[in-house]
Amino acid sequence: MITQHPSRLHITSRVAASLLGSYAFVWGFVSLVSASSLWAGVPYDDAMQLSSWLGMLLFVASVCGAFTVTSLARVWAVLAGGGALMTGAAWLLLRGLS
Amino acid sequence: MLESFQKSLTWVHTWFGLVLGFVLMSVFFFGSLSVFDREIDRWAIPETRFGPQPLPSYDRVLAPIFARIKPDADELAMGEARVGKPLPAGLPLKSWSVYTTHRDPVLTLWGEFAIDNPNAPEDHVHGHITIDPRSGAALPGDPLAIGSRFFYPMHFSLHLRWLSLGYWIVGLAALSMLVALVSGVVIHRKLFRELFTFRPQKNLQRSSLDLHNLTGVVALPFHFMFALTGMIIFAEIYLPLSETTFKPFHDAHERAEAAAKNLPLKPAGVAAPLASVDAMVDEAKRRWAARDMPGEVGWLIVEHAGDANAYVAVYRAGSDRVSLVGQQIYFEGTTGKVLYEAPPPSAIASISHWLTGLHLQHFRHWLLRWLYVLGGLSGCVCIATGLVFFVNKRKRRHAEEGIAGARWADALAVTAVLGPLTAALAMLVANRVLPGALPDRGEWQERTFWAAWLVSFLHAAWRSAPAQQARLAPAWREQCWGVVLLAAAAVIANWISTGDHLLRTVSARYWPVAGFDLALSCTALIAGAAALRLGRNERRQSAGVERDDALQDDDGALEAVHG
Amino acid sequence: MAELLRLAAFVSSLCGMAWLALAMPAHWQQVRGGARRSQRAARSLRGLGAGALALSLLLSLRADHPTIAPLVWVMMLTAAAILVAVTLGSRPEWLRPLVAFVPRASTRDSNAA
Repeated sequence: MITQHPSRLHITSRVAASLLGSYAFVWGFVSLVSASSLWAGVPYDDAMQLSSWLGMLLFVASVCGAFTVTSLARVWAVLAGGGALMTGAAWLLLRGLS
Repeated sequence: MLESFQKSLTWVHTWFGLVLGFVLMSVFFFGSLSVFDREIDRWAIPETRFGPQPLPSYDRVLAPIFARIKPDADELAMGEARVGKPLPAGLPLKSWSVYTTHRDPVLTLWGEFAIDNPNAPEDHVHGHITIDPRSGAALPGDPLAIGSRFFYPMHFSLHLRWLSLGYWIVGLAALSMLVALVSGVVIHRKLFRELFTFRPQKNLQRSSLDLHNLTGVVALPFHFMFALTGMIIFAEIYLPLSETTFKPFHDAHERAEAAAKNLPLKPAGVAAPLASVDAMVDEAKRRWAARDMPGEVGWLIVEHAGDANAYVAVYRAGSDRVSLVGQQIYFEGTTGKVLYEAPPPSAIASISHWLTGLHLQHFRHWLLRWLYVLGGLSGCVCIATGLVFFVNKRKRRHAEEGIAGARWADALAVTAVLGPLTAALAMLVANRVLPGALPDRGEWQERTFWAAWLVSFLHAAWRSAPAQQARLAPAWREQCWGVVLLAAAAVIANWISTGDHLLRTVSARYWPVAGFDLALSCTALIAGAAALRLGRNERRQSAGVERDDALQDDDGALEAVHG
Repeated sequence: MAELLRLAAFVSSLCGMAWLALAMPAHWQQVRGGARRSQRAARSLRGLGAGALALSLLLSLRADHPTIAPLVWVMMLTAAAILVAVTLGSRPEWLRPLVAFVPRASTRDSNAA
């Protein structure tokens, strides 16, 4: 939603999306990258390290994106939904590994 | 969110920067002090004002002292609280360890003792003894190491350990710093053209914005890498995958690692004497030299000490490069045979060590350390000028509308910018002035710190009323004078209480104390110059000469962009 | 020896930052008064500036371990840029000697600046 004076509710929702939504998204991303790396045979410590670098960078981009993408609904859908999907995918990969 | 990409990111930059700016100010300030934390320890604990010492002989000097270590009283108390009942007298010893850097004159020896906690099988408590390595004599009492045990933890945890809240707040602040940097670069369209633009003669809004841009942009790599590596270092706190969804894989990896290294996970339950650790250290040094990286011991651990399954890990101190301790070699405790030598690290591990080492600075390089302090202080200036710009912008509008908001924002700005400095200086003065035999001397110094910060806030709240009329609040000038007095008092108190005045320390080339006294003196001079300048500005304002808040600039678009 | 190399690296980065700044019209005006400078002069200054910064990196790499040298260089650039900006803000005339070799632009090629 593009507006000159967003409502308090809208601002609160954006901030929540940028922090909590991004957290969920990054958790999913880091889980998926770690699980994929383990699947590819990367040693455990290396896998966790690599995913944490990428995850932190993604977090910054995600916070900025939460405010620049026009549709707030899309922001929530991508961050929360994407986070859940990636976490699920990672779980499946881990199931396959153990 | 707003009508344009630029406007949305301006909003993000302003509000994330403002809300977390108060925290970031302290993180950057105490982080800057932490570069020389061990040198500040020398100033605070005069008995340790001698040069750094290499690790003394284990067999002759350290072994008898290790044998004397008992669990610390406060650790026992916390352990009993965790277990829920009193702990038995003779707790079994798990390990001994000693850690040293090229900057430490004194040596702390640690002991780890196992406690029987059904909820946490690996639970343990610690004991320690600090010695003068030249003689092996223990240091009396446990004086507060203001640099490494107060300023440094303040920087990454705000001393708020309940539920790791401080770590989370600092993490959020680091994230906000990165967001502010990225958004700042995007909205500062003339980044390269205005790289060197600094017009101190212009009004406050123009010159503070110039300085904000300058310190933000020229030190951008520094700010970005420190905020990023800070978050990466604590990544396991923020994203605890290894303790939750990935726990089985984490545990399996640990077991596999221990098996590959041939290291016994548990003690045998049979007592056995340790072979010569000095010989092990010599062998470790020989192997490092053979791999073209001669070095000193940084960390030494004796696991399952006193047991037949004991093993000794010797780590190399990374003072000649960015990476930290590493290249460890494991020896069988009873025979001195090499069990395992750490292979060269993988590419990802090397990058990881470099990132961590960049932030934690164990390297020996006085120039880079001072450049780090410059970077940290630039960050402080960037945040402070951002706060000042924000408050000044709203002063006139609030004055016209009769809102008190700008006054409180100004008072909080004073507390955030000058508060940490005032508190640190007050603590240093207390360190020199409090009686030596005072019980809980360390706690009293910490109380002085927090009390001084509170006084800074109360004074700022009281003396910021003119901000409501869009004028410069005297709180800034008065607290600058406070800094002058405290910094001078600290230098003088050091002289009176120890006799180590600047002439003596400089001629003796004892830089930890000379350097810190010089830094305190410079702080007093800069604060004095600032106070005089602020006084002049206050008088000019009362005479109606200039308006503080206008951006007198041909770049009229600037006003519009900066919301 | 390493200390001398580091000092040389810093001096080089100072000159480099100054030349890059003086290639910009606003700062050129601050240092040379109202005189303009030609496009060619601006390009030469930028080239000199970049070259000096590159030299600074090479000197740093000779003075320190390869994992430390780039950090020292980046931080030196920060210090140099701050010094140049502060000098331009208060005593711009101190930078005049660095561009003494650049001739005054004639009115013919002052289409740049």
